[in-house]
Amino acid sequence: MRAILRELWFLGRSRAALGAIMLLAVLACVAVAFGLAETARDRAAIAQVLALQAEEDVIVAARTSDAGGSAYGAYFPTWDSPSPLAFAALGQRDLSPSVLRVRALALEAQLYENEQANPELALAGRFDLAFVAVYLAPLVLIVLLHDLWSGEREAGRLAALRAIPRSMSRIFVSRAGVRAALVAVALLAPLGVGALLEGAALGKTLMFAAALIGVVVFWTLTILAVARLGSRSTVNAAALASLWFVLTLVGPAAANLVVTAAGPVTEGPRLARENRDAVHGAWDLPRQPTLDRFVALYPEWADTAPMTEPFHWKWYFAFQHLGDVAVADLSQAYRQGIERRERLARVAGWLMPPVGLQQMMHRLAETDVTAQLAYQDRIRAYHTQIRAFYYPYLFRDQAFGPEDFARAPRYQADGARP
Amino acid sequence: MRRGWRIAAEELRLLARTRVAWLGLLALIILSAVAAATSAAHVAREQAVRAEQQAAADRAFEAQPDRHPHRVVHYGAYVHRPVSPLAAFEPGIDPFTGTTLFLEGHRQNSATFGAMRESSGLIRFGQLTPAFVLQALAPLLLIFLGFSVVARERETGVLRQLRVHGARPAEVLLGKSLALGAVAAVALAPALAALAIAASSAPGEATAGALIAAAFLVYLAIWVLMVVAISAMAGSSRGALLCLIALWAVVVVLTPRAASALAARAEPAPPRVETELRITRDARTIGDSHNPDDPFFAAFRARTLAEYGVSRIEDLPVNYRGLVSAEGEALTSRLFADYARRTADQQRAQSRWLQAGAIVSPALAVRQAAMAGAATDLENHVRFLEQAEAHRFDLVQRLNRLHAEDVRPEDDAARSRDPEAEQRTRVAAENWARMPDFSFTPATPEARVEAMIPGLGVLALWLAAAVGLLVLASRRLLGEPR
Repeated sequence: MRAILRELWFLGRSRAALGAIMLLAVLACVAVAFGLAETARDRAAIAQVLALQAEEDVIVAARTSDAGGSAYGAYFPTWDSPSPLAFAALGQRDLSPSVLRVRALALEAQLYENEQANPELALAGRFDLAFVAVYLAPLVLIVLLHDLWSGEREAGRLAALRAIPRSMSRIFVSRAGVRAALVAVALLAPLGVGALLEGAALGKTLMFAAALIGVVVFWTLTILAVARLGSRSTVNAAALASLWFVLTLVGPAAANLVVTAAGPVTEGPRLARENRDAVHGAWDLPRQPTLDRFVALYPEWADTAPMTEPFHWKWYFAFQHLGDVAVADLSQAYRQGIERRERLARVAGWLMPPVGLQQMMHRLAETDVTAQLAYQDRIRAYHTQIRAFYYPYLFRDQAFGPEDFARAPRYQADGARP
Repeated sequence: MRRGWRIAAEELRLLARTRVAWLGLLALIILSAVAAATSAAHVAREQAVRAEQQAAADRAFEAQPDRHPHRVVHYGAYVHRPVSPLAAFEPGIDPFTGTTLFLEGHRQNSATFGAMRESSGLIRFGQLTPAFVLQALAPLLLIFLGFSVVARERETGVLRQLRVHGARPAEVLLGKSLALGAVAAVALAPALAALAIAASSAPGEATAGALIAAAFLVYLAIWVLMVVAISAMAGSSRGALLCLIALWAVVVVLTPRAASALAARAEPAPPRVETELRITRDARTIGDSHNPDDPFFAAFRARTLAEYGVSRIEDLPVNYRGLVSAEGEALTSRLFADYARRTADQQRAQSRWLQAGAIVSPALAVRQAAMAGAATDLENHVRFLEQAEAHRFDLVQRLNRLHAEDVRPEDDAARSRDPEAEQRTRVAAENWARMPDFSFTPATPEARVEAMIPGLGVLALWLAAAVGLLVLASRRLLGEPR
């Protein structure tokens, strides 16, 4: 205890060390404030869209006269609210949509829409707690700890300090411990406040805190190893800054090159085109065989009346869905390509602990690629519900009015969230 | 001045004997070479893939059978944004935008299938490109090799000896700057070679390429001067090193992200779906084709009847449905253009925050200049979206004209019930090949050079500030006791 108090007192007298920790604390607070503002804006934007859509629905409902026209014209909103920890690791939420509307038409043509975000902002990167922890905290730790031994040697005190019994634990360990702990607190306190405000689950918040502590521990141990082995303070600082540069900037960028080269993902444009061709090709084919192919997949509609005219909405929605079926393999391959890259990236995370810890933060905040794919799964499930809702009206020629439209399934954002 | 050269030569001789200096320089050159090679290969592949996809999309459009023109309006066309030649040096926003755009009637889709949503989260750590190596790594190397150039001489007493022998502080600092500048020149070489290769691969890129090279020369010159000045002003080598690393972190790592966060906060962009809903609502307020008594379309009907000198729609020599489609398309297109302009303006306002950030961070300034020169900035993407929208409108209106002129109204009205009428509504397939293909016209080299001016201007200010700092350092040295 006395050792800790003494180290705190020493720290208070070192302007550079204190300044570095204070700066980190301020940046962590600003990052959390930005993150909270961003997620609040995200939620407000979703609410705004839902309100506008509700107004639109009133007009659409009043005009509803048949199931086919309704299924063709009605948009159903889905949304992906930021998770309670999203404020701390904003991840991919800027480029992928947080709201997506779907119609009962072929889904593959609707699923991959992008957000209209400014790419120059995305290129610059996000400013969030995960960034402060993974990029800036190590630099502060390097400033605080690189000269733990060499600084004393250069001041001519090392021999005297070594002469003190149990100097290692009494002086150097407590000094490193106090400084690393303060860095950890600078990161954890804003996380705690943010998590409280957002009502994040305790378990996940603790795991996020563990990832932050992981960053501090990894770098503290790395720095101490270099500081112990190294000779001069300047050499230590330069070596550590280089190591930081490799692990945080060059390494991940090189890993991205390898991951990208290892698993090309080129299906996208072909998937969209083939889906379109399959859908529109139906207009140039005899009607009944198309309907038969649909019925073969969904035998519950086998008793539907045969096609007698060139157009019927049931045939229209049958070929829309068959268009999705036609590219199901391609769509699967496209998605698996992305998942394979994400898996390979995790391997890179094991090789480079700072990368792995940031991935863990994004996973906990549900702002990573996996979370985006999970949102696509929820959209797919909801789209299936919408189709299933319209099919009885279409295939049994049932009357459809505003009161039926009001019974259409609503997207359950939280119900579908695992 | 002769003494300045001698000091530079002496410093270089010392550096040449330092193993770490060689190691750092070698690492930088290897990274530059790897970045240049992989980036060039990536861009070549992307160019081929996108050209191939564009050709496949054009083939599919032309291979359509006889169809009702309105079918073709919905069949639509795919356009792909090509990669600019200098993207091999600075890919800029290319990975962060969709590259495929689906053009169809009455709808404006977003550009999809970009690298950012097809990659792992690693893409957000940054990309290993020649521009990145020069922007981030080269300054760090200069810091490591240069933090003690003056501080060391003071600590060992050499500085005092030099002064006693009549060396003026300005000469010392100039000599040290020349030595470090020589290192910077070597560090620049591989990336600039990559830039030269990329620029020579396409005509008209030479000027932009040369200006990008100049921007990076100035950028590294700024770092050389700052490193030497801070080394001279710091109390110790260690102080100089820590100060420079902190400066580097603020300039290269912190400021770009902070400026981006501020921009998003100051200019919050609505989600795409909100824009879509507002366009639907505005379109309905102007003219509602679903409403038989709508004044906008009633006026259009009256105008059309008067134009053809008839009193009933049935007496028109053309298919009125095609005319209404064209009128509706013109209405929504105006709204699309209007909202697209607002979105682009807001994004430009956001990007101005990054330009303001360049005042704190020359790394942002050099990146802006490089992206503008390489046509990999926001402006190039906006240009693509605008040209694609113009192409969409033109294509849809040509098809609507076919609808009005080549599809008989009786057949059109009966096509859902009568298979023979449905066959007669189909327009001959040779029409599809007559539709124009999309080809993107990038900004002219002159326009790109002009767009580089703000970034280059800020770099010039930074250079002046760095020279000022060096002069200040030299004054302080002058004041030191001999």
